Amino acid sequence: MLAADKTGKTIENIPLKIGRHEFTSRLFVGTGKYPSMEIMKDALAASGAEVVTVAIRRVKINETASLLDYIDTRKFKILPNTAGCYSAEEAIRTARLAREAGMSDLIKLEVLGDEKTLLPDPVETLKATEVLVKEGFTVLVYTSDDPIIARKLEDAGATSVMPAGAPIGSGQGILNKNNIRIILESAKVPVIVDAGVGTASDVSIAMELGCEGVLLNTGIALAKDPVCMAKAMKLACEAGRLAFLSGRIPKRLYAKASSPEKDF
Amino acid sequence: MRVTVNGEIKECPEGTTIEHLLDLCKIDKNRVAVELNLHIVPRKELSTRMLNDADVVEVVTFVGGG
Repeated sequence: MLAADKTGKTIENIPLKIGRHEFTSRLFVGTGKYPSMEIMKDALAASGAEVVTVAIRRVKINETASLLDYIDTRKFKILPNTAGCYSAEEAIRTARLAREAGMSDLIKLEVLGDEKTLLPDPVETLKATEVLVKEGFTVLVYTSDDPIIARKLEDAGATSVMPAGAPIGSGQGILNKNNIRIILESAKVPVIVDAGVGTASDVSIAMELGCEGVLLNTGIALAKDPVCMAKAMKLACEAGRLAFLSGRIPKRLYAKASSPEKDF
Repeated sequence: MRVTVNGEIKECPEGTTIEHLLDLCKIDKNRVAVELNLHIVPRKELSTRMLNDADVVEVVTFVGGG
């Protein structure tokens, strides 16, 4: 059994703290691209997530159906994003609107560099982080896997840094584990891998590295069976976390027998 | 008078408040944020803030995203 901390809680039950919020689940799930709202609702439930991301867009006049009809806001914390913003100015405007729409002080800051790569623009991201932190937002920042910019975002007051495993929606997994390791080594805020996760093992890898959580959308939403994949991601997240806490064996170049040497 | 709501021109009577306009457009005010001429209007002011001719109103809400 894993060691207990001072409060008597076992380590695996220590909640994830994001600002003033605490979560048991370490899987954050998006709400885009599902085949239907009903499937999304079932997938969110199967994922065990407590935080779900949403985007901010213009209301369609005379259209009364709403995403929030399908998300129980007593069960799920809503994490609005600034997806689709290409400058600090746009992202700040979107974040302010998100807060006014009434869900919380949480914002997933995303300032992109261009439409082809959807990679973050580090300069604009840093600028927006500084402003939003001053305005009292709890800022979770989507960033590249660059350790230096991750550190600068933390210094600017980011509540969490969220390096991409791979480009958004690419499903390529964790492309540069070494960079994630370096980010983890110095980060004092939770590191949550965001983007690029394709399947369950990608989630496990991120968690085994010691990340505090994983945020994903496409890997579940566009799977052939999103509800089943959501469950797979949940289990992978828990398995990876437990493996990390348990302390894996070092890798060896040569074999080492599991059975005693033959002595007869 | 005429105001622009999310890029569409709407005809509405003098003295229309933002809340009236949202009703007119069948928008649930509890799930939106409103900008008037690029300035956010606090929720509690939606029922009192009057619109003027040529005002530009943006109404946004939450949609699916990652």
